[in-house]
Amino acid sequence: MKYIKMYLACAHTAFSRAAAYRADFLLGSIITLLSNILFPLVTVLIYTNGATFPGWTMWEVLLIQSVYSMSTGAAAMFFYSVVWVTMEHIREGSFETVLLKPVSPLFFIASSNFDPQYGGLFLGGLVLTIVSSAHTNISGLSGILQFILLFTAGLAVMSGLYLVMAAITFKWVGNARIPEIFDSIITFGKYPAGIFPRGIRVLSTLIVPVSVIGYFPASALLGRLEPMAYISLIPCLLFLAFGIWIYNRMIKLYEGVGG
Amino acid sequence: MAAITVENLVKTYTTYKRGSGFLETLKSFVKRNPVTVRAVDDISFKIEKGVICGILGPNGAGKSTTIKMLCGALFPSGGKIDVMGYYPAKDRIKYVRKIGAVFGQRSQLIWDIPPIDSFAMNKAIYAIKDSDYKKRLDELTELFDVAEVIHKPTRVLSLGERMKCEFIMAMLHSPDIVFLDEPTIGLDVIAKTKIREVVGKMNQNGTTFILTTHDLEDVEQLADHVIIINHGKKVFDDTLPHLKSTLGNKKIVKLTLSKPYIGETINGANIIQRESELDISLEVDVEKQGINDFLNDLSNFVDFTDISIKELPMDMIITRIYNA
Repeated sequence: MKYIKMYLACAHTAFSRAAAYRADFLLGSIITLLSNILFPLVTVLIYTNGATFPGWTMWEVLLIQSVYSMSTGAAAMFFYSVVWVTMEHIREGSFETVLLKPVSPLFFIASSNFDPQYGGLFLGGLVLTIVSSAHTNISGLSGILQFILLFTAGLAVMSGLYLVMAAITFKWVGNARIPEIFDSIITFGKYPAGIFPRGIRVLSTLIVPVSVIGYFPASALLGRLEPMAYISLIPCLLFLAFGIWIYNRMIKLYEGVGG
Repeated sequence: MAAITVENLVKTYTTYKRGSGFLETLKSFVKRNPVTVRAVDDISFKIEKGVICGILGPNGAGKSTTIKMLCGALFPSGGKIDVMGYYPAKDRIKYVRKIGAVFGQRSQLIWDIPPIDSFAMNKAIYAIKDSDYKKRLDELTELFDVAEVIHKPTRVLSLGERMKCEFIMAMLHSPDIVFLDEPTIGLDVIAKTKIREVVGKMNQNGTTFILTTHDLEDVEQLADHVIIINHGKKVFDDTLPHLKSTLGNKKIVKLTLSKPYIGETINGANIIQRESELDISLEVDVEKQGINDFLNDLSNFVDFTDISIKELPMDMIITRIYNA
């Protein structure tokens, strides 16, 4: 309860900050939404020109991509700013101000930098998911429950990746290109895994399980879930746990060497 | 009773040496040359509860590193720190509840929103009760005279207003000890005076203050206890009156002469400064020669039209300690 109250108070400051520059907030939300949500247009273009992703209809692929948008929007709202804020604190040598708060530094940074701008992306993804679902055969309640489980696991992977990136900034000070590596990695989650070579499938399922961001939850809704999806839940949890561990470990190193 | 006990404190860190020029840059790109810096070198001291302790030292002396270790933000490389029974870096989350800190060059306020919103966030983080929060906020805003200011976005505040709000942010949870790292840096006289006044009042109510500063007036007006650090080592640790007498009982006599004087001493006192051909300052060691005797004999050596006598200025005392 204490932490929920704290989170809400910190998130409130984040909202106030966003509201301080209303035009910037609205424009940023629209740009984030458009740059991500327009992506499925490429899929529409591919299908309307006669090409396909073998074994998948256009609406099924769109469903994967809209679930992916929802997942990236939700994870970015809660964790993306951890990367930038940590990077900024380390570069400016102001991380001490975070360590002065009587809470976990990770909790403090994540809550006080909650980014409502990504809410638009989440909602856009949600609308597209509903539209795509209406054009496909959605499996029953068990499919929806499996979707919720895998969607949550996808959030865990994304959050874990954000934390790993944030942890890297402790050593790789001020490198603003780290998120580009991340964007390239998670792109594999946007497509049906079957279109990739076996090596990439194993990598995107078991090593860095980005398939759980869009492909697996959408497959659950469609009733086409592969057994491999359940195995990938383990690396999802491990990824989040590793992200939290490495971030906290880097803080310890900072406490040890900063000055 | 000692609120802070520091024993043989050491902090080392590694930095990389790089020469200038293209070749040196290229070389350092391939192979970096690590250099171990001993920022704090075997420092020990005790600070009593309820005092204001000034930590002085030139730039790079190790003051801020010491303060960061005392705040729990950095682990020492060696030695022990005990603050109110806590080992700061190890017990950080429990410990920082009991302290406040103002870093003159690092803001804790959120830039784009009014300080009142930052205060509300701290209220939740420190779990301050509504009634206590209101009482404390009213008290502090009145003391600093910023009741209106706290509702304006931080980015539009003047430096003085912002620093006052930084103090409120650090003191809302009624800390037992407050660390101030160059709190008056860049402030005008009015803001400095206000901040010193409030620090004095809070100290009378029992709050212990540890202060690093380059402004010797902060120390002269506030500190009971002074620690001087230079090159990471402690070079002085005693009371302010003792600091003033550390170079002996000396006075500065300023004279405006009737005609230029070219000698280096007058009546046994060294000329330490020549502001102009006719304006000079003498350093008189009153332990060797009473000031009365010195003044009685002075007119036998030079003719002067004006005279003033002052204590040895603090900056001179400190500079000599740094250079010793």
